[in-house]
Amino acid sequence: MRFFDPHIHMVSRTTDDYQNMAAAGIRAVIEPAFWMGQPRTNVGSFVDYFATLVGWERFRASQFGIAHYCTIGVNSKEANNEGLAREALELLPHFALKEGVVAIGEIGYDEITPAEEWVYQHQLQFAVDHDMVVMVHSPHRDKKNGIIRSIDVAREIGVPMEKLVIDHNNEETVQAVLDAGAWAAFTIYPNTKMGSERMVEIVRQYGPDRLIVDSSADWGVSDPLSVPKTAHLMQERGIEQSAIELTCWQNAIDAYAQSGQIDVDELMRDPVIDQSQSFSDNSVLRGQQPRIDEPVQN
Amino acid sequence: MSQSITNTLETLLAPRLADTALAFWQKSRDELTAGVSTHRFAALIALASRHAKRTPLELSPEEIDAIAELGVSIDMRGWNLLELLRVGLITARCDLNEVSFAEDFEAQFVYADEGETCALYRALALLPAGERFVWRAGEGCRTNMNNVFATIALDTPYPVQHFDDTAWNQLVMKSLFLELPLWRVLGLDNRRSQDLTRMVLDFAEERESAGRAINNGLWLCLGPHDNERTSALALRAWAAANSGQHAAIVLGLARCNLVAVAEQLGADSIDTSVTSALQAAQNGQTDNIHFAQLTADNSETQA
Ligand SMILES: [Zn+2]
Repeated sequence: MRFFDPHIHMVSRTTDDYQNMAAAGIRAVIEPAFWMGQPRTNVGSFVDYFATLVGWERFRASQFGIAHYCTIGVNSKEANNEGLAREALELLPHFALKEGVVAIGEIGYDEITPAEEWVYQHQLQFAVDHDMVVMVHSPHRDKKNGIIRSIDVAREIGVPMEKLVIDHNNEETVQAVLDAGAWAAFTIYPNTKMGSERMVEIVRQYGPDRLIVDSSADWGVSDPLSVPKTAHLMQERGIEQSAIELTCWQNAIDAYAQSGQIDVDELMRDPVIDQSQSFSDNSVLRGQQPRIDEPVQN
Repeated sequence: MSQSITNTLETLLAPRLADTALAFWQKSRDELTAGVSTHRFAALIALASRHAKRTPLELSPEEIDAIAELGVSIDMRGWNLLELLRVGLITARCDLNEVSFAEDFEAQFVYADEGETCALYRALALLPAGERFVWRAGEGCRTNMNNVFATIALDTPYPVQHFDDTAWNQLVMKSLFLELPLWRVLGLDNRRSQDLTRMVLDFAEERESAGRAINNGLWLCLGPHDNERTSALALRAWAAANSGQHAAIVLGLARCNLVAVAEQLGADSIDTSVTSALQAAQNGQTDNIHFAQLTADNSETQA
């Protein structure tokens, strides 16, 4: 099986993770811009982070045969540092229109403060102006209310519901998101929040349409193999193959390819280590097998 | 000059772009020729990815001739269409000689994604007063992204024209480390100093100590500065080498004026690639291009 993990923070992961992910069948990832685990102190920190997402991390992933896309946005936690957030927002035009940027995100609410509201709305407007997909991070506390509010505000500003992905859902929030016509993504965390077991039941109950499975693996305790593991559990528990394919691969593509930034044909091809893409004599893809045993050279 | 470069790039772009992409190019070119803001320039470079993919150019012989007529001795066969479009957008600017351009160009690197970074470096050789960007090119050489490094190291005359010896030697050595096709480092034929030769020989001995094979490209980097060590290395390497490696050793020795040693090593060989390398060596045909053939059966084909 092949998998798409449409929410994972690879800057925090090791090359071991990349190897294991490739071996487990993960062919593509989306890395949403988020916070670093500690607050940034100046706008230059955002510049370098965004540049990493569209440059270095993309290259690193390519060394393992994994296509790397990203989203650009100012996250809700750091929206509360108002001066810095304003400066960071000015970087949006510099980074959000780059190749392989599939959405504005992850944005939304954390504590649901006025500062978060302002930064969220500003970015929704940017997405509407540039016809982009939006990836919304839902708050851990007061989740249901936060999700309903993020959908309402997005609708008000003019984000088409089919271009809205609400992430970190659970049993309590999924219906509201599906009713709105948006995509409902689920983060599978080991031990806490959503586990694979609960995900299987959600797919059984709601069907696979517009449901997306992701790992949101980051610098915390998390599992970059959540998507393949959940898929295998679904298989074990008798979920139809087509439903597994939709929730662990195709739905993410359908949602984010609306950005025009995913070359779907290329993604469907066999994975290659793309080390020679820009300086090969006559071919971009050479059909070689992934060299996941090769370290990144420098 | 920049006018004719842009025109040539346009003749390459036109048959390869879809109608909407061609319209984007023409409109952008006119905008750039008239003068644009820093933000607009950045946006056009970014938006190019919506109009051209990273498809290989597959240049025709006529097109390669047209590029040669620019007199820049650049090899664009390794470029992709998106890079071509972006470089076209850069050279279309009306102020290439001005400070305004130099500042805008440098600013692009700060916000560039991987594909843009490659395109920006590809443009270097086509810009007037290239010496303005030497620091930037050096930054590019310090990158960890092999594909970015390759856009500065390979197929472009920029480094050999503008790099000082330290930077040049580092570029050659890094290309060796990364097992890039060394024959595509333009200007290496005439810039193999004593220092570089020593560094390359040291590197070869490190590889030997580590029990690792010597890349064919290594023989391209040696100059006639330490014939004793070079000959000794050739003798040691010969026994375990395959036919392509034999040919590289022969040509490498000849590049160091050691044809006699090459003849001695290859005397008994009936391998055609060795005999033809010997023949080339005796005729003095030992420049970069003669190594191109040897890379097919060697690890350095494509790094
Ligand atoms: Zn996240």
